[in-house]
Amino acid sequence: MSGEDDSSGWQLTESDPSVFTELLKSLGVPLVVDDLYSLDSGALSTFQPIHALIFLFKWVGSSAEPSSGGQYDLEFPGFFAHQVVNNACATLAVMNAIGNIPDLPKGVQLSDLINFTVGMDPQTRGMVITSADWLREAHNALSPPSAISLEGLGLPKTTEEAYHFIVYLPYMGSVYELDGLKDSPVQHGPYEEKGEGWLAKAREVIEARIATYPPGSLEFSLLALHDDPLPTLQTSLSEAQASGNHAAVEEIMVRLANENSKRERWAFENSLRRHNYVGFIHALLSAMGKAGALDKAKEDAQAKMQERIAKRKEKGEAAMDED
Amino acid sequence: MSTEPRIAFKAGRAFRRENTNWVDPDPTKGAVILQNGEDGLLHFIWKNRTTNDSEEDLILFPSDATFAPVTQAASGRVYVLKFSSSNQRHFFWMQDADSTRDKDFVQNVNRLLLNPEELPVWFTGFPDALGTAAFEEPGTAQASSSSSSAQPAQPSQPAQPGQPGFQFTQEQLNQFQSMIESSGAGANVPPELSLTDVLTPANLTPLFTSHPELIQTLFPHLPPDLPSPPTPQTIQQVISSPQFRAAVRNFDQALRTGLLGGLVRGLGLPEEAGTGVEAFLRAIQDQAREGGGGDSMDTD
Repeated sequence: MSGEDDSSGWQLTESDPSVFTELLKSLGVPLVVDDLYSLDSGALSTFQPIHALIFLFKWVGSSAEPSSGGQYDLEFPGFFAHQVVNNACATLAVMNAIGNIPDLPKGVQLSDLINFTVGMDPQTRGMVITSADWLREAHNALSPPSAISLEGLGLPKTTEEAYHFIVYLPYMGSVYELDGLKDSPVQHGPYEEKGEGWLAKAREVIEARIATYPPGSLEFSLLALHDDPLPTLQTSLSEAQASGNHAAVEEIMVRLANENSKRERWAFENSLRRHNYVGFIHALLSAMGKAGALDKAKEDAQAKMQERIAKRKEKGEAAMDED
Repeated sequence: MSTEPRIAFKAGRAFRRENTNWVDPDPTKGAVILQNGEDGLLHFIWKNRTTNDSEEDLILFPSDATFAPVTQAASGRVYVLKFSSSNQRHFFWMQDADSTRDKDFVQNVNRLLLNPEELPVWFTGFPDALGTAAFEEPGTAQASSSSSSAQPAQPSQPAQPGQPGFQFTQEQLNQFQSMIESSGAGANVPPELSLTDVLTPANLTPLFTSHPELIQTLFPHLPPDLPSPPTPQTIQQVISSPQFRAAVRNFDQALRTGLLGGLVRGLGLPEEAGTGVEAFLRAIQDQAREGGGGDSMDTD
């Protein structure tokens, strides 16, 4: 299918919860994504109800990647799309998640797209999704506009390779793993509704997976896809105020303040992500010039570069001495 | 400058598990202390309250670091000290059983981190003087606390069809490719300097204090869709942000191709300014001397 270099117009995005949440907003979906720092019940209960877990990882090992257990489900009746363009991996993971959450409010374009792909095989579905112009534009809106395209110039790459995304979610009583690079979804077995529900099973599966990698070879993050807490908090606040429960009012206001300040921080970060900095860079250097600070800064920068080159040479020579 | 503690509060440390975002708290009783050093710089110290040893001593340049809450921690009392100049992260959890002063401590830490000349402001009473107060039982940390997001993936800049402005076509890119290869430029020629070493917070922050009138020239170039109206502090935040640093790296790389003549004309500079980093800086210096650089804003 599409080779590594065919980005088909999809830009690589950061894998930050703020980026995912912004994407969901533009799709008209009232869910939020947050980082999970642990799979213990305390961490998970912060975000209940959790609709899906997104496991993103980069494997830096050299031997064959270990298998993840479970069984392929070739008859999976839900929504599953293959990843056909690497740069689209984040959005593809989001689609594989939200395509399987029942009764989820969605924007019209999203509903239409999902409905259109009913009955398609995963490969075709992946191609259809990747060809949706409006979806690609929503995705690209999360990263800087390309004022300067450096693709195809053979310059050394300074950016990191994309992470790989896998979705874990409950479907018809079992925990499923949706990996856009695998042929079909993987079924990991049934879960019990009581207590933590599907999350208890998912925890087992994910921890087992992490354990199969040699220590230090896996870089990973875990994201929780869950309901936006703000509307519920607002309602709880009104109720607590109406019933005169001052302790509850205080507690809810603290949580609201935390959530709002996080959202404001995310909005700030996203606005920085979308910006073209060429004008700003020029203005900063001009300001330095006007303040008479540019010459010294230049000299210091030249000295730093010399240091760096010298260090690299040292290391290079040292490596040769070790032969 | 006195070397007495300026802010001090009980706090433990937490450490990140390698290659993950998982952070485990350490139960050792300790304290965070901000004080001026003999060197005249602000020091961020973590002291072990059992042994009385200062086990961490970080020097902080103005606006190089922030002390941010880790909102995911269930206890709500975990913070991270993070730097704009490096990827260093230091995690701490509040150990005073009374949490009512957390906000005060954190706000004042950040005020000092931004500007060490600032005087801390206390809203709920006076801070504990370490060594004289009787310590209560430290608060217990959660089984696993959390860190602030540190997603390492940086955006690259692939082509986007249909973008107006400075976009190169595939044909132009192919031409550039062969030009670079035939000229022998690129990887073989070591660069003289990098823009990333020029546009550092350490270089820029003193400017804003000594030439506050120049701040005005920067506002029009900030992102137009910020959630709240920009202030001088916004400029600090932007120049310390990973997004800005990535943009500078990208622009630096682009300048080294020597092919930005067309782009820099849009900034009111001569075409020669687009042939390299040194040329770019020279042209800006000339423009600044001639009193320009503030008016020619022919950017998108």
